[in-house]
Parts: sequence; structure tokens; C-alpha cells
Amino acid sequence: MAPFIPEGLVNPQLNLFFALVLGLGFGYVLEQAGFSSSRKLAGVFYGYDFVVLRVFFTAAITAMVGLVFLSFMGWIDMSLVYINPLYVWSAILGGGIMGLGFILGGYCPGTSIVAATVGKIDAMLFLVGAVIGIFIFGHFYNAWEPLYMGYFEGNPFIYETLGLSRSWFAFIMVLVAVIAFAITQNIEDRVNNTPIETIQQRPSYVLPGALLLIAIFAFLLLPEQRKSNARENTPQQILAALQEKDRIVDVEEAAYKIMHEDPDFTLIDIRDAVEFEKFALPGAINITLDQLLGRRYRDFFRNPGKPNSKKVFYGFGESNADLAWTTATRAGFENVYVLQGGLNGMFETLFNGTEMPDDPLNLEEEFTVRFLAKARQMFLDGQVLPAPPPDPVPVRTIIELETPGGRGGC
Amino acid sequence: MENKPKPFMNPYLAGFLLGLVLLASFVITGRGLGASGAAKDVMVTGVMNVAPEYASESAFYDPYFAAEGSPIRSWLVFLAIGVIIGGFVSGAASNRLGFKMERGPRIKPYTRAIFAIAGGLLFGLGAQFGRGCTSGAALSGMAVLSTGGILTMMTIFGSGYLMAWFFRKLWI
Repeated sequence: MAPFIPEGLVNPQLNLFFALVLGLGFGYVLEQAGFSSSRKLAGVFYGYDFVVLRVFFTAAITAMVGLVFLSFMGWIDMSLVYINPLYVWSAILGGGIMGLGFILGGYCPGTSIVAATVGKIDAMLFLVGAVIGIFIFGHFYNAWEPLYMGYFEGNPFIYETLGLSRSWFAFIMVLVAVIAFAITQNIEDRVNNTPIETIQQRPSYVLPGALLLIAIFAFLLLPEQRKSNARENTPQQILAALQEKDRIVDVEEAAYKIMHEDPDFTLIDIRDAVEFEKFALPGAINITLDQLLGRRYRDFFRNPGKPNSKKVFYGFGESNADLAWTTATRAGFENVYVLQGGLNGMFETLFNGTEMPDDPLNLEEEFTVRFLAKARQMFLDGQVLPAPPPDPVPVRTIIELETPGGRGGC
Repeated sequence: MENKPKPFMNPYLAGFLLGLVLLASFVITGRGLGASGAAKDVMVTGVMNVAPEYASESAFYDPYFAAEGSPIRSWLVFLAIGVIIGGFVSGAASNRLGFKMERGPRIKPYTRAIFAIAGGLLFGLGAQFGRGCTSGAALSGMAVLSTGGILTMMTIFGSGYLMAWFFRKLWI
């Protein structure tokens, strides 16, 4: 399951090593493509050289199709991938300034690094300018912080914004790119007055382009499963499990395990933090419905623990805990349960519950009644005080994907 | 003529390879490629060491004081070191090494120098607002189909085409 490092499959200490290796590939390909030449780069804006468009779009589409495919197969968890945040006006202003910078300077930061390494003096000056520009941003940070941090719209995907399915959007992107490649080749030939013999000798991209489009189009015919990870259960499995009552942990079992401080029995209070502070079952941890799918608790929930371990949701009643259970089960979390009747049900059973019958019918009933009395006493005496909630310790290391200052990956 | 520069790679092949590098970055580390972040880390480290009082008074530097360790050891800096090595190896292998001020046919070297600095300055500034440059916001952002990245990409190229006519003397 990718991504490997956030998933804990690769030692995070190797992260910097991978950065170096990926950078090697990045720099090598940029230089080989001719991105160390500002005149070649600027050509995209004047029609004499569209190498930027070809390399850029091909790279973006290759990675995009790869990610869509991996995600479709459930092999990559896109919730662990850095998705650029959308600060609408900051993005538009930034892009506008960068476009002007591109025209004046002839480079972008990545290409200027590559160009500087092969000895381009203009690229070195461009880098000096970039550092000054970042310093200016920092110097006047207070002045533009409202704009920089404002108009935040979360981390949406473009197909969500446009109301399309992901496969359709990916197909449209590839189609647009292939058309753009053809048109820009034509423009380039006219601007440069390319001799007709050169054009005829050039390899044809009709076949690979068509094959690519057909392959992507096949995606559209496949049923869209939208699996964000491979561990998810299907709606059918969940419905079946809901109809079974296996998820319910009854009050007797819960009370017994609380009294014995069973380490494999984790109570999860899904009410909000204020309610939780007022009263919670002993040893319970507080994870509200909003936090349930968060990255913070992912490893806690995914770790099945010992075979008999239980993670038991409870609220005031049963219905919200059922919601939590359904959500958790859909997400593929293991060994999750629901406390019978919730807090209210538990107290009702404990306090208004069974009086000792004059003539107990059998030993089992007598045991239950005695046990409940004991549990009731425990709560009344406060023998087991509501402990301060320990945070579940993540078993695997979580890489903080968002870097300081909410900056982009660039 | 053994020192003649070799021709550039086919752009579609180069794009495909670059796409694979980008995809590998997502699959291994969960993030895309970037370049301007390294310049920022170097700048921040410099300011924090040269003028710590200045840095401590600005909210811009707060996250770096809060974060443990030196920002210069960050992921993006290592990526940039890789880019430097990779670019140099490629340039050396293809006989493209050599100091040169590349410029349009109609401008003098010092004009080019001034515009290169100005362009870099604007790009550095814009990359902060855009939360990434052509690699981190536009390329990586487009690959993950993020609205934020695609919006930044469209405004970079849109603004470039709008401005191109006014500055055509620089290049053609």
C-alpha cells in the first residue's frame, strides 16, 4: 500500500535519501529535456519552441494517470498524499506574479537550479533574485497575511470542483493534452518556417496518442468504485453485519471488563469533548465522529491487536455509536463494537436493573444479579475513577505531511 | 568535434520519464516534487543565523523556530541537492557544461542580467503566494488533480501569455 513512508512501510529516516534520489532523476531529466536553456523555455510563450508544454503536460499526465490507476486499484491511499490546499486569491495572485517572472527571467525555480549547475550565469542570477523575492515576502508577511491565509477552500480535487467523475476528468485532460500537442507542433512549424521535408521525416505520434486515449477511455467503462483504500468493506458486507447483532457488547461484559481493567478492551467515547470532560466511563478515550477518520487515529484503528481485543464505541445512546461503527467498518477498521444502550442504557441496567429475586431460578441469574450489584457499587464508590484519557499511541510513525507555514511542496 | 553538445532528449520521452519520477515521489513519500521550497529553506536558515533578532520578530519565521532542527536539512533541500547533481551529470554527459549568459538576440548581457534577477525575484515572491512554483504547485498539483495546483498552473501560464507581448524584445 502506497504511499510507503506515510504508511510506515519504509523507515522515515530514509526519507531524505529518497529525496536525494528523486532529485537526481528530476534534475537529470530536466537537463536532458533542454530545460537548462532560458531561450528554449521562453519559446513556449512566443511559439518558436513548445518543449515546455510537451514535457510538462506529458509528465503531469503520466503521473496523473498513474495515480488514478493506483488509486482505482486501491493500491495508494490518496488521503495520505499531499493535496495542494486552495487559497483562491493567494493562488491567483501568486500565479500571476510567477507568470510575469517567467517572461522576465526565462526560468522557473526548478529549471534555474538545473541551468545554474551547467553554468548558465543568467540562471544563477535568477536564483539570487528568487531568494530576494522570498525574503521580501517574509519581510512584509504581516501586511499580506490576510490575503495569504484567506479565502481558504480546503484541499479539493478539480473533478469535485467541476462536478465530474475522476475518470472523466482524467480522460478529458489527456484528450486536451493530445490536441494541444498537435496544435502547438503546427504553430511551431509555422513560426520557425520548418522545411516540409523535416516535418515529413519526423516520427508520427498518432499511434501512441490514439492507444493512450483508448486505454484511458477504458477506465470510463469500468465501474467506478472510488476505493480510497484496499481494506474497505463493501456496503453489502456492512449491511449484513448490521443485521447481525455481533457488534453489540452487552452491559455485563462491559462492566466486567472495566472492573478488571482489561487492556484489550478499549472504550471509545464518541460524544464531544465537553460532555466527555463531565463524565466518561473509566479508561475511555475521546474520539468524536468528526475525528474518527482522521490521520491521527488511523493506525490505532487499523491495528487489530490481539484476537479478542475490542474497541467499543459508546455515546449517550446507541444510535451515534452505530454511526461510528458503520463508518469505521466501511473504512476497514477492525475489531470495532458498540456498547449496548450507550451510557444511558448502561446506567439503567446497573441502577434500575434487576432486584435479587427471592428465589433465584438458577446460578447464572444469581451470578448476574450479584455482579451487577458489584458493578453498581463500583460506580457509586468511585473505586474506579474516570481516568484521564490516554491518547492511543500510534503504532507506526506518521509523517507530518504538511510542512511549516503551510507552504506548498515546491 | 568530440565536444559538440548532444541533442536534447525527445520531449515526450523526457516528459514520460519525468512523470515516472513524479509518480515515484508520490508512491514513496506521498508528496510531489518541488524547487522553490529549497530556496526558501536556504534563505530562512541564512536569516535565522545572520539576524536572529530580525527573524524572531516576524511571524513568517515562527514555524521555523517552532520546528525542531535546521530547515536546511529539510526534504526539499535534499531534493534540490539531487537536482544539482542530476543536472550536472546530465550536462557533463551531453557536453553542455560551460559558463554562458543566455539571452535573446536583441538584448545586451547586462540587460539580461537585470531581467534575470527581476524575474527570479518575482518568481520567488509569487511562489510564496502560490504555495509552490511550476514544480510544486503546477506540476505536482496537476498530477494529484488538486484544484489549488491547477488554478496556480493556469494563472502562471495565463499571466505569461498576457505579458509575453510586452516583453517580446527580450526573447525574439
